[in-house]
Amino acid sequence: MTATLLPAAADPVGTSSPSSRPRRGSGRDISLLVMVVVVALLLSVIVGLPLVRILTVAFSAEGWSIVSSMLSNPVNRGILWNTVQLGVIVSLLGTAVGFVMAYAQVRLKFRGKRILHLISLMPIVSPPFAVATAAITLFGRNGMISNGVFGQQIDIYGLKGLTFVLTLSFFPVAYMNLKGMLESLDPSLDEAAANLGANKLKIFTSVTLPMLIPGIAGSVLLLFVESIADLANPLVLGGDYTVLASRAYLAVVGEYNVAGGAAYSLVLLLPALSVFLIQRYWVSRKNVVSVTGKPAGSPELITAPALRIPMLVMAVAVASLVILMYATVVFGGFVKIFGVNNDFTLDHYRFVLAGIGSDAMFTTTLLALIATPIAGLLGMLIAWLVVRKLKRTSGLMDFVGMLGLAVPGTVIGIGYAIAFNTPTVFAGRQWFPAVAGGSAILGGAMAIVMVFVARSLPTGQRAGISALQQINPAIDEAATSLGASSLTTFRTVTLPLIRPALLAGLTYAFARSMTTLSPIVFITTPQTKIMTSQILAEVDSGRFGNAFAYCAILIVIVLSFIGLLNLAMLHPSIRGIQRR
Amino acid sequence: MTATPESAMTTQPDARIESARDSLATATPGRVTLRDLRKIYGDDKTGTPAVKDIDLDIEPGEFITLLGPSGCGKTTTLRMIAGFETPTAGTIRLDDEVINKVAPNKRPMAMVFQSYALFPHMTVFDNVAYGLKLKKLPSARVTEEVETALTSMNLGPYRDRAPHQMSGGQQQRVALARALVMRPKVLLFDEPLSNLDAKLRVQMRGEIRRLQRRLGITTIFVTHDQDEAMTMSDRIVVMNVGVIEQVDTPQEIYRHPASVFVADFIGRANFLDVDVHEVRDDGAEVGVLGKRWSVGKHPAVAAGDVVTLMVRPESVRLSATDSREVGGSVGRVLSSMFYGEAIEYDIETEAGNLVVSVADPHAHETFTQGDFLDVGFEEGRAWLMPVAADTP
Repeated sequence: MTATLLPAAADPVGTSSPSSRPRRGSGRDISLLVMVVVVALLLSVIVGLPLVRILTVAFSAEGWSIVSSMLSNPVNRGILWNTVQLGVIVSLLGTAVGFVMAYAQVRLKFRGKRILHLISLMPIVSPPFAVATAAITLFGRNGMISNGVFGQQIDIYGLKGLTFVLTLSFFPVAYMNLKGMLESLDPSLDEAAANLGANKLKIFTSVTLPMLIPGIAGSVLLLFVESIADLANPLVLGGDYTVLASRAYLAVVGEYNVAGGAAYSLVLLLPALSVFLIQRYWVSRKNVVSVTGKPAGSPELITAPALRIPMLVMAVAVASLVILMYATVVFGGFVKIFGVNNDFTLDHYRFVLAGIGSDAMFTTTLLALIATPIAGLLGMLIAWLVVRKLKRTSGLMDFVGMLGLAVPGTVIGIGYAIAFNTPTVFAGRQWFPAVAGGSAILGGAMAIVMVFVARSLPTGQRAGISALQQINPAIDEAATSLGASSLTTFRTVTLPLIRPALLAGLTYAFARSMTTLSPIVFITTPQTKIMTSQILAEVDSGRFGNAFAYCAILIVIVLSFIGLLNLAMLHPSIRGIQRR
Repeated sequence: MTATPESAMTTQPDARIESARDSLATATPGRVTLRDLRKIYGDDKTGTPAVKDIDLDIEPGEFITLLGPSGCGKTTTLRMIAGFETPTAGTIRLDDEVINKVAPNKRPMAMVFQSYALFPHMTVFDNVAYGLKLKKLPSARVTEEVETALTSMNLGPYRDRAPHQMSGGQQQRVALARALVMRPKVLLFDEPLSNLDAKLRVQMRGEIRRLQRRLGITTIFVTHDQDEAMTMSDRIVVMNVGVIEQVDTPQEIYRHPASVFVADFIGRANFLDVDVHEVRDDGAEVGVLGKRWSVGKHPAVAAGDVVTLMVRPESVRLSATDSREVGGSVGRVLSSMFYGEAIEYDIETEAGNLVVSVADPHAHETFTQGDFLDVGFEEGRAWLMPVAADTP
């Protein structure tokens, strides 16, 4: 067929459009290259540089003398032992609690599942001191329950209190992990086992449990990393029980010994990073259950009292404790001194909402709002590059992106203080001015936003990766085949399709930014007050009422944001056409 | 016409659809030339080649099918042409211009995917308009073009539907409309019919073929289904383990296969061991089943070669015999299967077991297991071919 046969009106697009002809030398996709370079640069600055700087200081003569004394010096040995002990106890206990809650949620028959689910998730959106402060008030030396009800003077400071508070704070991680896994266990496997003659107990031990082991192992490892990395609770509840994170904090903030801080950070970094790597690349590979898979049917819910009653009693006990903690936070903010002087007062809330404390509230919310979309989009972008675009370097980019989660916040914070308190000079040139610390541009706010992004990026990245792995790559190729560049494909096709992951990423980014403490205490400045570090100051000075008010308001801000975000995403103009 | 579009496809398309199709016709169908094209996954030196130095000339307006078992390199070849895979070596030309380095989104080709790959978050209209909008056409023009494309596929009433609200066949046609609206020089299909049910697949075959004829667009179609290849193509490229075994028209490939692999892969074939009496330029004299036969031969067959005689199941002839012993021309029925339009026998002979297909069994005498038969075949349809050293 030739052109002359065509009606003139239907001037074929093919002849008039420039993109219809292969353009010599237009090369491969430039937008892809630009995106990779931008992401790589961003990651190097917000994660890479601080880590490199902390390592250089830790390996300096001064730092290395502390690192090498870790096992020989009895004090340091004690700190190391405390850290490992706390990590092991909390990870086992937290996983057990998480398992009970997940098992009850998925397999038991009872009413109020939704409420139990929400209660199980509550500690995730709460600021770090809420549980610790409530625990001191309720169960401490003059605790309302320990002393008030039982007349006991319990010493809550130390391992005991830390175990209690950390377990209660971190079990939701295990809960989420194991719940997903239990839900995706294919009931037809149980049926197959039953069909082959196995009884209920045999099914549990020979089919269910072996399939859950990677999930249980994964949860234990994740909780281990979380609990050895935690700084907030050891600061408030540790007492004489010093762990690596609080020791590093003391070195930097109390002794102005940056090298010491870097040295303790390195020792903390090694187990945290290796356990994280084991969890991420080994345990998750052993995973025989696809957590994202859809169950092929609904399992028969358990009604047998022998299992149901003890499980439910435990689940309700845990849920009650959680509620008790948060009720304390809420009520504690409305009375003069909870447990001592229970007169109603609005002073604490006035302090936070309208007084000196309001500064921190506005600043924190603003910075978190700036960091959230950056972290969410960057997470999706990294996920897309890792899953779809990069080949040999995808593992590296995935790993660097995840570092913000894998590296303890204390380590990141000290790294930021070392790397960004002074202007960044490389090859004799100043690349950018100091971004952290009091003398930095914007009062150090930039570094705080960077930390927020680094810390909250990984969850979105993970969610994005698993969402993308479920979408047929042919959809991307179809867009390319129709003339879309990589950037256009990402914007018009990929991003709309992974909206649920983006939503999860944004939600988590905001919650994490608002509640993170450990990296913040090292870089917050008088000009840029952050709520979590203000709470620390209030708790330190024993003004629990203000701390409670801060915590309650922080929770309200986070929950409102999540609510608004979900509402916005429901809006038809944003929602678009639902996918199957 | 009450017509769900599926049934409309098979009935006479109306004039509106036909004129819409005419206006989609491509101005300049592309010529695609592959030279020494190679693809090695993984390391260039140690990796196993998926495509081994293939040469292929695809004429403008031609419908060519890449056919072969999975892992034969057909999809890799198609994806290299589309630009989704980078060749390890060799060149891909479009109209004499080397396009190896042209990004896939800059190639004037459109692809229809096995999974259709419709954008699930866009309506049918937006799916089809996607590429045109990227070309920055004025929106009135986009609407006009999209309407034309949708009409040509008889999809007009579905323009505001979401992909998941449509049947597989409808989604398939949206994918086709989305590709055609771009007026590509080359249309690429990656096993597009494999997700459809059997009946619809047969309808779509004819539909795509008619459309392609009408538009005169160069089309490269990948499939592992020989029926699709046979019924749709101008020429078939039979591939196996990364090399091209034969490029020819469907009839030639069926009648005169170049290799045992091709004969076996396309249709079904019996391979008989024969005594070669004489090899001429245009044929050969062979002895098998107790007789001497004058058969056609592959040009490469020369005297003294190791050869085999291909006889298609439908060219075997059976007749009743009084003999009660297998040997010479006498064979025995091992099993029979009734297919309705044909009956199929498994026959034991001295030359091996033969698969025999007898069309329209009602018109013939039928045999049962254990019957002794006189076995022969149509000389003109038998094909003497070389046995390559590495094929069984």
